[in-house]
Formats: sequence, C-alpha cells, structure tokens
Amino acid sequence: MKPSKWIYLFLLPGLLLYGVFFVYPSLSALFYSFTDWDGLSPDFNLIGFENYTRMITDDTVFQTSLVNNLKFMAVVVVLQTGFSLLFALLLLKNTRTNRFFRSLFFFPTVLSSISVAFIGAFLYDPTLGLLNNLFDRVGLGFLSQNWIGDPKIAIYSVALMQVWAHTGQMLVLFLAGLNSIPREMFEAAAVEGASRWQTFRYVTWPLLAPATTIVIAYTTIQSFKAFDLIYAMTRGGPNYATEILSTFLYHSAFQNYEFGYASAGSVLFMLVIALVTFLQFRALRSRKVTY
Amino acid sequence: MNRFVHKTTLSALAASLLLTVGCSSSSETTADGKVKINFLHWRGEDSDVFKELIAKFEAENQTIDVEMSVMPSEQYQSTAQTKLADGQSGDVFTSFPGAQFETIAKANLFADLTNESFVTNYEPNLIKAGQKDGKQFALPLQLVYNQPVYNVELFNKYNLTPPTDWEGFLKVCETLKANGITPIAFPGADVGPGQFMNSMLMNNAPNEDVFTKLEAGDAKLTDAWWTKTLSQFKELNDKGYIQKDSLGTKQDAAVAYFAQGKAAMLATGSYAMASAKKQNAELKLGLLAPITVSAADKKWDGIHTTTFMLAVNSKSQHQTEAKKFIDFLSRKDNAEVYANKTSQHVTVKGVNYTSPELKDTISWTQKNTRFQPRFLIQSGDVQKAVTSSIQDVLSGTAPEEAAAKAQKLVEQKLKK
Repeated sequence: MKPSKWIYLFLLPGLLLYGVFFVYPSLSALFYSFTDWDGLSPDFNLIGFENYTRMITDDTVFQTSLVNNLKFMAVVVVLQTGFSLLFALLLLKNTRTNRFFRSLFFFPTVLSSISVAFIGAFLYDPTLGLLNNLFDRVGLGFLSQNWIGDPKIAIYSVALMQVWAHTGQMLVLFLAGLNSIPREMFEAAAVEGASRWQTFRYVTWPLLAPATTIVIAYTTIQSFKAFDLIYAMTRGGPNYATEILSTFLYHSAFQNYEFGYASAGSVLFMLVIALVTFLQFRALRSRKVTY
Repeated sequence: MNRFVHKTTLSALAASLLLTVGCSSSSETTADGKVKINFLHWRGEDSDVFKELIAKFEAENQTIDVEMSVMPSEQYQSTAQTKLADGQSGDVFTSFPGAQFETIAKANLFADLTNESFVTNYEPNLIKAGQKDGKQFALPLQLVYNQPVYNVELFNKYNLTPPTDWEGFLKVCETLKANGITPIAFPGADVGPGQFMNSMLMNNAPNEDVFTKLEAGDAKLTDAWWTKTLSQFKELNDKGYIQKDSLGTKQDAAVAYFAQGKAAMLATGSYAMASAKKQNAELKLGLLAPITVSAADKKWDGIHTTTFMLAVNSKSQHQTEAKKFIDFLSRKDNAEVYANKTSQHVTVKGVNYTSPELKDTISWTQKNTRFQPRFLIQSGDVQKAVTSSIQDVLSGTAPEEAAAKAQKLVEQKLKK
C-alpha cells in the first residue's frame, strides 16, 4: 500500500526539530572544526586539519581527558551494570518490601546532576564531610581519603557518585528485561534439576542480552556526557585529574574561546563514542540467543 | 485536498519555526513607553543592594526600567560573552579584568566610555584595568584585596602580629600549629590556588609583567620565580600549615572552617570577609599577605584587584539609558551605599566607609599593593596550567617537576 501524503505532514515537526537542533549543529561543528573561529568574532580562517593534528599529537590535556574518560566509563559501566542487575534479581518479586526498595534505589535518578554533585561534595569533603567523619566515628579512620582532592582517586570518587545516581534507572530496564523472560524457561530449568547459578548462567543471562545491550550502551554514552556532575564537583581538577572530554570541550570553547578547536574536539568525541558503542554492540551481539 | 495538505504543512512549518525561535528580548521598549535595560552581572550576594539602588534609579528616571540578570561567577566568565553578542542582554554588564576583558574587547562588545563625565568620579589609578588602546572601556567598581584574611583575636591570643618576612611567616604558622590551630584554611579544590598564588608570588617575581613575558615566551614557569613559589607552597603543606587534604576542600567549607575558629588564616581575599562574619558575627578580621622574601627584599605589601567592571554593550539599542545607569552607580552617594552594604571597597572617590570590616582594612588603600598577577594572564589555558601546578605540588609532585609539566602545557597553548 502506498503511504499517504499525510505521513509527511506528521513527520514534519519532528524532522524540523531534529534538523534544527541536531543535523544543522552537527554539520556546523564539522565545518567550524576546520577553522580558527573564536566564537565571537565575525571573521575566521579555514585551517584544514590543523585543529585535529594539534589535538591528537600535541595536546596533553586532551590526551589526559580521553584517558580519564575511559577510566570513568569503565568504572561506571561495570559497577552500574553489575549493581543494577544484582538489585533487579533481588527485587524481582513484586512484594511490598521490594516495591519500597525499588523506589528507594530509583530515587537518586530523579535528582538533578547538580544536586547529586552537591551531595557528593558534602560526602567527600575531607574535613567536614560525612564519609571521613563516619569512618573516624566507627574506628575506621584508616579508610578516610581525600576523595576528590587526591588526583589518584578523584576520577573514581566522582564515578561512584554517577553510579549511585543512575543505578536505579538501569534497575528498571533490567526488571523489564527479567519480566519479559517466559516463565516456562525457568520451569523447564527446574524440571531439569538446574541449580540457581546454572539457571542464571544458562537461562536468565542469555535471555537478558537485549536489556544488557541497552543498559551498557546507554551507560557508556551517559559516562561520556557526565559534564554537569564533574563540573559541579571538581571542575576537572585537581590538576586535570577529573578532566573528561566534555569538560575539555567546555573549557576550550567557553574558557579559551577556541570554538574551532572545540568543534574539532566534539567531532573526535563523537567518533570515540561511536567506536566504543560499536565495539560493545559487536561484543554483546555474540551472546544474544533464542530458544 | 493537495492545497489543504500544502497549507497545513506550511502552517505547521511556521508554528515549528515560531517554537524554535520564540525567545523574547530582555532589552526592549515596554508597553507604557518606558525603555527597559538589562543589567547583567555575577554578584548574586549583592542582589538586594542592587535592587535597592535600581528602585532609586527608576524613581529618578521614570522612563527607564532596569531588569537585573545574575549568573554565578564561574558561569559568567564562560558564557557572558555569548549572551552579550546579540545585544539582547546586558545593556549594562560587568566584566572581570584580564582574560574576560580582553576577550570582550577583541569581540568589540565594549562601548567607549572615555569621554563620559562619570569617569572622573573614579580614582584614576584604580580604573586602569578597564583601559585598552588608550580608551576607557569599563569602570571597575570594586576594590578587592586578594590575600589571606586572618582572625585578629587568635593572633592576639598567641601574641602574633602579621609577619614581615618568610621566616616570620613560618614562625607564625608554627606557633598556631603548636597551639592546635590550623594556620591556613586553603580551598584547594576551587578558588584557593588562583587566589593564594598572587601573594605567594608577588615578591618572588616583583616585576608586574612576568606573566606577559610568560605568554610571550620570554619567561618560563621553570624559572626560579615560579619554582621558588611552588617550593614555598610545598613547605607550607609539608609542615602541616595548610589544612590536611586541602585539595578536596571547596571555598564554602574553607570559610566555614575559618569562621569556626579552627583556622587562623583564610587563603582567599577580602571578598570572603562578609561571608565569614555572617557565619560568626564575633569574628574580628584583618588582612595580611605572606612575604616570601626577606624584609629587605620586599617590594610589595599585598595584592589588589579592581574588578566588577561596569560597561555598556556596544550592541545595545539603549546605550544612552545604559550610560545613565552607570552614571548613577558611579555617584559617591550610591557607591557608598553599595560599599557599606556589601562590605566591599570601591574605586569611587571620596567614599565614606562605615562597615566595620571596611574600616578595619582601610589602611590597605595606603599600602604598596600590586594588581592581581593572575588576572594579567590573558589565556585561560595558561591560567589553568599555572594554578594546576600548585595543585600538582600539593598532591606530592616535586616543585621542579610540576613546573616543568605546567611549562609544557604553556608551550602547547602558545603554539595555538
């Protein structure tokens, strides 16, 4: 059947918004990445690939940001996926207690990143903060750390706040995935005498592949976009220890007024996310099964 | 039918475009014929005083309405320029000296104020930060001292006086530490490095053009003036004169720690005195600056910044009204209200200070202070490299190594 012309009318607002807010800015960024535009002056020069070559070969802050971002992503993806899956398994049954805990774990998701950052700053402050004071009070003072002030651990401390804030969101996706697995599969496994671990390993985990793929891809992209949390907590410091690609781009564009350079960074940023997501999809596709 | 589809499509397109571009102008002529101007600045803590002054201005100028927009200072430094560019916001705006002033000047967003009569209301020596190429583009209203604030009663209790050389400074710190008081509260996670570096550096690099030379490639952070400064930071940190884990401490926490009497000095600036007093009204405060050389080699007593620079947006449609508002703020009576209600020194001539904090520190206007060196660094990247090297040292890196890393960053930026 030939689609009605009306279909184009209904598509138009969406296409228009997509074009204005995504396609046009993306193409503009690509164009400006080949210029030395400062973001304010009407004039700029075309400088070819100079922004790209300088960023890749000669900008240690960009390289540090990329490494920090990969560390941040690794911690967030592993812990957020692990905890959300664990909690989903524990809270699968629809009891009153479980509903309470589901809401409790979901609660941080509704907070803005800035609020999460303030909570983080309050928790992590080395002298007045809750965490170190708590450790001191219960005789575990040796565990006290300079959580966001020590360059060696600052990126992990910030990553933990990201995990805390978004585990509940992923928990919902895993619960949906678990509920979509046919009960007969578990009944068949029980009849076959499978242990709990075997049931998880050979039934639950493979059939959760679609949910896991979404959770990991979403968490990865979220990790690269964690600008607001990091900026509000550490501003990329101390000494670039928590600078990630998005804060690097922000500093290039709005602190140094190098919009051309920042545009080149954003194009590389997009390529990095695309590459990581592509690799993840390839890795996860291999474990997708159908029974 | 086709015509109907086309018409509907066009209407939808128009509606979508309206949705997309439907933002209202904040600088406009209102329905009752008044001109509305927008005043854009970063001092949220001064909003109440400005509301009072704006009400007075509007009563005196019945045809002008002033709308105030306030952004946090960090955000202001990064996004104000873009807001100013279309002329819809910030008919009157404020600028930081240094990098932001240079960027706005480069974008030709300053209206020239050189020949305005209100320029003569200001102390000529204190408005230089708003000048470029022989023109007065902005008028700094505030005079801030970017050096440690100290708890006068704690100093008196241990018979201490503001030291006059480095040995004396270390002795003061040692005495305080021996009595269980943290000598210096240092907000190393945010403003601390950028503030404390100024007074730590001022006598190690007494020439005021040191950062201009750095950005021209004629001086290096690996030179003695900076490695010595970093070594002195390290010494303060290693001896426990700065609170533990200072790189995790933000300004609010450092002010609270100082206000509670747990630290004797707060390494920020005079602008923090009002916040500390708000938390502890009993505090008696003074200003001091670490002299990092011998008394004989000392050139500078402290650091000042003339900031909160009032300017008119060259893209504004209402420049006459905007200048009237600056004229109003530049009057002695209004500057006096602003100064005393916000506990800030101002650059306007003849102001009478009644606030206790301002009276306590008025003597600094007679001292040999130097314009804040950090604001003379024009590149944001170079500023960050410099302040990050302090954080690097405080996290355990050797001063020479930290200086070399920072110099490498500076050289990368200079190539751009």
